[in-house]
Amino acid sequence: MSPEEKCPRSEALSALVDNELLEPDRGALATHVTGCPICAPVLAEFKQLRDSFVALPEVAAGVDIASLVDRRIAAIAGIAKPQSRPQRWRWWQVGPAALGGALSLSLGVYLGSALMLGSQVTAQPAALQMAAFTAIPPGALCPVLQACNSMGH
Amino acid sequence: MLGSDGPDDDWVRRAQAGDREAFSELVRRHQDRVFRYLLRMLGSHEDALELTQDAFIKAWQALPQWQPEAQFRTWLFRIANNTALDALRRRKLVEFVPLENSFDTPSSEPDPERQAQATQEVRQLEANMKKLAPEHRQILLLREVEEMTYEEIGRVLSLSEGTVKSRLARARAALIEIYARSRP
Ligand SMILES: [Zn+2]
Repeated sequence: MSPEEKCPRSEALSALVDNELLEPDRGALATHVTGCPICAPVLAEFKQLRDSFVALPEVAAGVDIASLVDRRIAAIAGIAKPQSRPQRWRWWQVGPAALGGALSLSLGVYLGSALMLGSQVTAQPAALQMAAFTAIPPGALCPVLQACNSMGH
Repeated sequence: MLGSDGPDDDWVRRAQAGDREAFSELVRRHQDRVFRYLLRMLGSHEDALELTQDAFIKAWQALPQWQPEAQFRTWLFRIANNTALDALRRRKLVEFVPLENSFDTPSSEPDPERQAQATQEVRQLEANMKKLAPEHRQILLLREVEEMTYEEIGRVLSLSEGTVKSRLARARAALIEIYARSRP
């Protein structure tokens, strides 16, 4: 039996969808799939899955993260860049220990609020009917090696 | 100086030398992608916003270790991914919160029926993605949304290309199985 006649694994089909197979494997698999009743629907499902990701909407933060990051870097570094030292610190008005305490406190508040944010829960949408991804039952990706192998091409 | 769509390397070198403006340029170039990835990993807009900042700050602190051979984007995504996994572990946030803006549809779409169907498919995908193990969710996002090659995904996740290949196939099979199970 030539390698081309072996029933390919779902791994190879997945890589085929990703265009990550090299020749001659790619061509051999593509040919095999057109004549294999087990591999063809699996490949179709993988492709359909890929298409469903394309439909995902673009998302954006909606804020200028660069300036937020720069402000936090400045706050962390503090003295690292003298010309951009934040004036609001007024470090000459407080002792270094007090300043350190204030930074620790604000970091604690920040971490605390970050932890709080993780707790939100949103109700799931009701189950939606979709005919996709049903051609092959779960766990049955190219399951009957013998059947697939015996197809012959 | 390079245009805003030029390669990152010169900006990275300048940032490595302590140039915060150069680093801000890098943040602007990559913030949307990192945010998008973290939003889809964590499901919460607020968390994603905080963690995107955290990831960039970690990147700034790790810049001395950046090597010119490393593509900045994959290097950055490696940091972002670790940030996401740390957050998932720390907060035990295994539940994926449906995206807040996911039902906005472009006004250019003329057919309401088709629009509704597309929205339904997006909702289904998002609901099913949240049921995936994080290791499957992350690799699918890197491939399908970030459109990374196996080599790039391998660099982000510290995996061989062979492991990327097999894990992607398993992730797809798992998602397809979730679709099948959610069928009424
Ligand atoms: Zn086959």
